[in-house]
Amino acid sequence: MKDILTIIFRLTVACLLAGAIMGGAFVLTNQAKRHNAELNERQVMLSLLGYASVKSAPASLKLYPIYRYLITAKGGEEIGYLLPGEAGEAGMTLVILDLDGKFVGQRPVTLSPEAAKEETKRAAAIPAALGGDAKARYADQTIVVTEGGQRLAYLLPGRFPGFKTFITAMLALNQDFSIRGLEIMESEEDPGLGGEIVQKYFKNQFKAKTLEAMRKIGVVKTPLPDEYRRALEADGGTGSGGLSAEQVAKIEAEYSGKDIYALTGATISSRSVTEGVRAMVQKFVYRLGLLDQALKEQKIAVPF
Amino acid sequence: MMAPNYRRILLLLLCGLLLPVAARAAGLAAKASFKGTNEIVLSLANPADAKGLGDPANYRVSEEQNPDISLPVAQALVSADRSTVTLSFKGPLNTRLTHLVTLHQRATNKGQAPETFRVSKSYWGYLLSILVSALLINNFVFTKYLGLCVFFGTSKRKATAKGMGITFTIVMVVSAIMSWFFYQYILKPYQLGFLQVVIFIGLVSLTVQAVDTVLRKVNPTLFKAFGVYLVLVIANCVIIAVPLMLADNEYNFLESLMLALGAGGGFLLALYLMSSARERMELANIPPTFKGVPIAFIVAGQFALAFLGFSGLKLF
Amino acid sequence: MATDKTSLQLVTNGILNENPIFRLVLSMCPAVGISTTVMNGFMLGVAVLFVQVFSSCTISLFKNVIHPRIRIPTYTLTIATWVTVIDMVLAAYMPAAYAKMGIFIKLIVAFAIITMRLEMFACKESVTASFWDGVGMGLGFMFGMMSLGLVRELLGQGTILGHDVLGFKPLLFFVLPFAGFFCVGLMMAFFNYIELAYRRAKRA
Repeated sequence: MKDILTIIFRLTVACLLAGAIMGGAFVLTNQAKRHNAELNERQVMLSLLGYASVKSAPASLKLYPIYRYLITAKGGEEIGYLLPGEAGEAGMTLVILDLDGKFVGQRPVTLSPEAAKEETKRAAAIPAALGGDAKARYADQTIVVTEGGQRLAYLLPGRFPGFKTFITAMLALNQDFSIRGLEIMESEEDPGLGGEIVQKYFKNQFKAKTLEAMRKIGVVKTPLPDEYRRALEADGGTGSGGLSAEQVAKIEAEYSGKDIYALTGATISSRSVTEGVRAMVQKFVYRLGLLDQALKEQKIAVPF
Repeated sequence: MMAPNYRRILLLLLCGLLLPVAARAAGLAAKASFKGTNEIVLSLANPADAKGLGDPANYRVSEEQNPDISLPVAQALVSADRSTVTLSFKGPLNTRLTHLVTLHQRATNKGQAPETFRVSKSYWGYLLSILVSALLINNFVFTKYLGLCVFFGTSKRKATAKGMGITFTIVMVVSAIMSWFFYQYILKPYQLGFLQVVIFIGLVSLTVQAVDTVLRKVNPTLFKAFGVYLVLVIANCVIIAVPLMLADNEYNFLESLMLALGAGGGFLLALYLMSSARERMELANIPPTFKGVPIAFIVAGQFALAFLGFSGLKLF
Repeated sequence: MATDKTSLQLVTNGILNENPIFRLVLSMCPAVGISTTVMNGFMLGVAVLFVQVFSSCTISLFKNVIHPRIRIPTYTLTIATWVTVIDMVLAAYMPAAYAKMGIFIKLIVAFAIITMRLEMFACKESVTASFWDGVGMGLGFMFGMMSLGLVRELLGQGTILGHDVLGFKPLLFFVLPFAGFFCVGLMMAFFNYIELAYRRAKRA
């Protein structure tokens, strides 16, 4: 009996000690983890926009996120866009459109743009702004980039099925909806095969593809032409292959209307990425058109 | 002497799995399903006026996650007996997602509220695909490279392999279910996600201890056969990898059960295949440098190569 | 009972005589799964070294108060604690490397090598000896992982630590996931061959 008591006592002490160590480590690292994740994301966004580091981006460059919500109310489903308020205002605006894109209403949301970055805070503020028993479900976010008050580009974080599991990517579009850049954030494709989607010679192929081209291009299994490959690898970094920036731009422009060259041994992965990017672009362009129209008709002031 | 016992357990498990399938299938009256990649077939409970049904403008189809983007229906074909309508689309649909089909106005009575059908692949098919995926496509040993220590240690004899595989599957299923409950109802609500590793390994040890005690009392013969493998189960990383994956992927209860069954079954399959090969290999003339473990690795590599053939296999 | 080996002997024992990967054939999962580059091997090696050293020290420090009947659960708890700590630290400060290793960091908790060293060494020896033994085992694991990574990276991608050395890619085969099995098998055979040749030379 005494034995059992000692065992229980010692185990409890051991568990408490272990818990204290882990809890301490959690408290110490969690802040850093969030900070680094945010920094990393910002770095990726800026490099997609064409700035090598956080410092080299001009101060006039502003990123405005738009959060999209699916709202289930009595009258059926609606789409809510949580937008930052006009410059100088602290709150945000929720613009509600119906499923066909017609303007339904607009609600002020008491939430600072900084606090809106956290999903839990948004999840608390939005139902309060909606009132009643309407439920809001977070769908996705897109980011409008402005420079000196002018729209410069759009950043779309997205997720689509790959060959094995989901691929998380970030897509940058120019103002005319041609692709500015693609970055693969997370993927679990096979290393050496589908894993090559993160390589420059694959992801840079999407660069400079126009909206029109993006609607209809496919994936071809012919080998990647050598000069195109060199241009893709030289793009946006220390130029290997001895190509100047102009030459790179020229070769890329030449291939901009052509299909995507599939990775060797990973046609399905290549096709998944192409389809995923296509769907992201098309959905975004459709939604942004409706939102812009509603903003214009209702004269809702937004900073972008 | 052992065989009838296995069979009874397996049979019971199988019955338990199949029962709900029959019960569910009977309850549906009107349903919608995918056909190929660009068609949706609606089966109607009470056939209505063909005119209204045949007009593509009466339908609104969208993915459940994107209700604001409607997919244009190219053609709506009503079958001769008016019991089914086939909607075809220009582009391929993403059949992995649930789609919503809204029938705006049934031409017969205009005041009627729009009717909505949900179109998705059969949930049971999805569950089965998780099972088959864990069993073959993402076999834990040959494509995820987990549990190798125990795999090489216990695959010398077929009898050992079977014993280990079955013990492992049972412990796997029990501990995965417990881990799922712990994760969903304790760790997640209280934001204790960082305790995952400790809790899961604790639950595994607990399961092993419990199975050990129960088996010893209830069926000493069975214990004699399987008791030795119980200790080895803890040293197997698959047993801790499965709960971690369940937590990562936010699987629900049934999906978790399927993944655990698939993982255990996959391990059993891998052990059985390997032990069969290794028993034969004893008769072969192997160079002295390759004797023992090195040749086992090469053979495992060949199995892995073969299992690569399953990847990309799409069921349901 | 105290060991009479010096710290150097303890370390070399872990790297050569009782190398966890090639000699004891333990902790094979990461050796096959993520040994595609030298860097991966190094990172996981550091994590294992950390867990092994800290667990060994903890257990040998508390060896007198650990009740013999709950020995194994205590080991598991200790290892799990340190694994959780290193997991959180890596996730916070090295997100890129952490993403590559994925689930394997958490799986260190099930590595037989660590429990085995605690049971065979740390629970009997002094803290200093356990520390050096832990360092040896950790370095041995790191050495095994890095040498596998070196072979696979050089033959598969023609690079070492990401630097292009060959200028071409000899055999893509070695980067592919399943090649880990072949690579480990071949390297084990290679070590066996050296040992056999050495013995033959000694006998002659």
